[in-house]
Amino acid sequence: MVLEQIIILGAITSFVYALMALGFTLIYGVSGIINLAHGAFFVLGAYIFGALSNLFSSFFPAEFLYVVPVLALIVTPILTGIIGSIFYRLTLHQVLGDQIATMVVSLCGCIIFQQIIWLVFGSTLAFRFSIPAILPGNFTVSNVVIVNAQALAAVISILLFASLWIFIAKTKSGKAMKALSQDLEAAMLVGVSVEKMYMLTSAISAGIASIAAVFYVSMTGAASFYMWLQALALSFSIVILGGLGSIKGTLIGALIFGYATTIFSLTLTGAGGLVTSLPFIVMIIVLIIRPKGLFGKRIEME
Amino acid sequence: MPVKYLRRAYRSFATHVYDVPPRMLAFLILIILSLIPLTGLSLDKLGILTSANVIAILAVSWDLLVGRSGQISMGHAIFYGAGGYGAALLFRYFGWPVWMTIPISLLISVGIAVIVGIPCLRVKGPYLALVTLALPLAATGFLFYYSDVFGGDIGIPLTRIFPLSLGYVGQFVANYYLSLSLMAISALVVYKIASSRTGVVFVSLLDDELASKACGINVTKYKLMAFAISGLFGSLAGCVQAYLSVRVTPDFLDISISLIPILVTILGGIGTIYGPLVGTYIYYLMDRYIFTQLVPVGGMASLLIFMLVVVIFVVKWPRGIGRAVVDKLEDLQEPREIEEIEEKKVKLFKRMRNALAFLIRGLRKRKEKGET
Repeated sequence: MVLEQIIILGAITSFVYALMALGFTLIYGVSGIINLAHGAFFVLGAYIFGALSNLFSSFFPAEFLYVVPVLALIVTPILTGIIGSIFYRLTLHQVLGDQIATMVVSLCGCIIFQQIIWLVFGSTLAFRFSIPAILPGNFTVSNVVIVNAQALAAVISILLFASLWIFIAKTKSGKAMKALSQDLEAAMLVGVSVEKMYMLTSAISAGIASIAAVFYVSMTGAASFYMWLQALALSFSIVILGGLGSIKGTLIGALIFGYATTIFSLTLTGAGGLVTSLPFIVMIIVLIIRPKGLFGKRIEME
Repeated sequence: MPVKYLRRAYRSFATHVYDVPPRMLAFLILIILSLIPLTGLSLDKLGILTSANVIAILAVSWDLLVGRSGQISMGHAIFYGAGGYGAALLFRYFGWPVWMTIPISLLISVGIAVIVGIPCLRVKGPYLALVTLALPLAATGFLFYYSDVFGGDIGIPLTRIFPLSLGYVGQFVANYYLSLSLMAISALVVYKIASSRTGVVFVSLLDDELASKACGINVTKYKLMAFAISGLFGSLAGCVQAYLSVRVTPDFLDISISLIPILVTILGGIGTIYGPLVGTYIYYLMDRYIFTQLVPVGGMASLLIFMLVVVIFVVKWPRGIGRAVVDKLEDLQEPREIEEIEEKKVKLFKRMRNALAFLIRGLRKRKEKGET
């Protein structure tokens, strides 16, 4: 029973975590920017989704209410992506190449978005969504109850991974991104606009973060404006564990992190705060053994 | 022969401080800060300045580790918390007085800092930033798990440093002078370390680790040293704050404690020792006074505005405010090129001539008007 629970719930948790970290690794892989504002876009996505579904539900009659979350799920990543690329252009683009300044500016961005959300949505600590789940109900696989929304999250996460891979491998913009990550100057020489591509990358990463936020919130049930730290720490850890800039590594890192949290929370009942610190300790140990993460680029000879 | 010593002290002051404009400015600011309690400032503002002094120690220690040695730490709260909890635990279990708990807690914290430094020998750059960011988060989990030792949410109570016989106002003033003197001493010591040979080696680690290794520098030793020194001053700030707030709580390991030194150092100028100090006072002035008392915009909006200001400053002046000011001051000190002086003279002359011509023209017009 416990083993089956670990396998199935761990997989679902891992896929949501992978979705959370995907945008973070994408923007690092393409531009080398450590965009800590990723956590802010995560929270922003959750709140925009909540606000949009509240807004839309007043337009649709009761029998079409199932359209609302689907519509909101489509509009949310677009809005968050626009905000993300504007944020990138206004702040991070100005300090390109300075690692510490990038980190500080993006962290300030997190707090700015946190305060804006607080001002707009009120100072209550938790903001519960008054929307029906995207797919209400649940089903059972070998004695393990799975909520439909969670299964949907896992499926959409896999689909997004696949479509991102196709986007990078097949489309022109994707190829330009790949070129930028491989050789910045050569890509600029053949006419790739750094500014536009980086803005597109940050838009995509913010959009993916907002989708991840919607599923994460439907898993845990509540969103709060200070959730960005938790989300940031999680996605940062996953990405670092797998190696910065490696999408394969992100997936593996998410699996390790997801299973670690599931195992710790299911077996170590009563451990309380330790459940939150153990994954970090696992990560620190892995990093001491492999300093560039599991699939990161090897330390280049300087 | 006290006169002889006085004269010698004056001569060294004149050559080492008075002739160097940035040092003279720092000296003047220190004197102004030490005169502040005599001006009858209200006690809450004195409290704000006291905590600003404590945070300045933390920021200076962060600057030594990151701005000088290039080991990116985003979890300086681990040292702050180690100092605070060390002192509190020593007080709780052994009942030692202040002058014993603080030094021993500092020693323990240096040990912790060296242990924290060991992973950094292998992990670099953003990876190191994450490891250090995760450390306080992991430590907080332990604090809550062993809450019978660490006191959980409530924390551990402590005594005051100064006896109650000083009175309410006296306590505030004494705390202020204590924090101010500790801040000045730590800044001076860190400045001395940074300008000594060790400091130069730290900068070489920041610039090119491989090259400094090739020059025969023991990189391991100096990295651990940087962590130990930084941890020492970071935990000093924690100890002092623990005694000032009479209680240690898990807030000592909060993410904001890790963020404030980073923000203020970037604001003031990274890699300088005065930068974090300038940044800290600007931060406290804006956060606790301008946006809360002078122009009350509400707690939420004040943080928002402050962060916007920081972002604008970092984007416009990536090298920091403090460095811009000191660059100006050093311009005063260094003898300028003659051509440059000549150029400035010519410019000044032209400007004066233009102004004169403008004035004369204006006078003439008025005269003509008067005549008609």
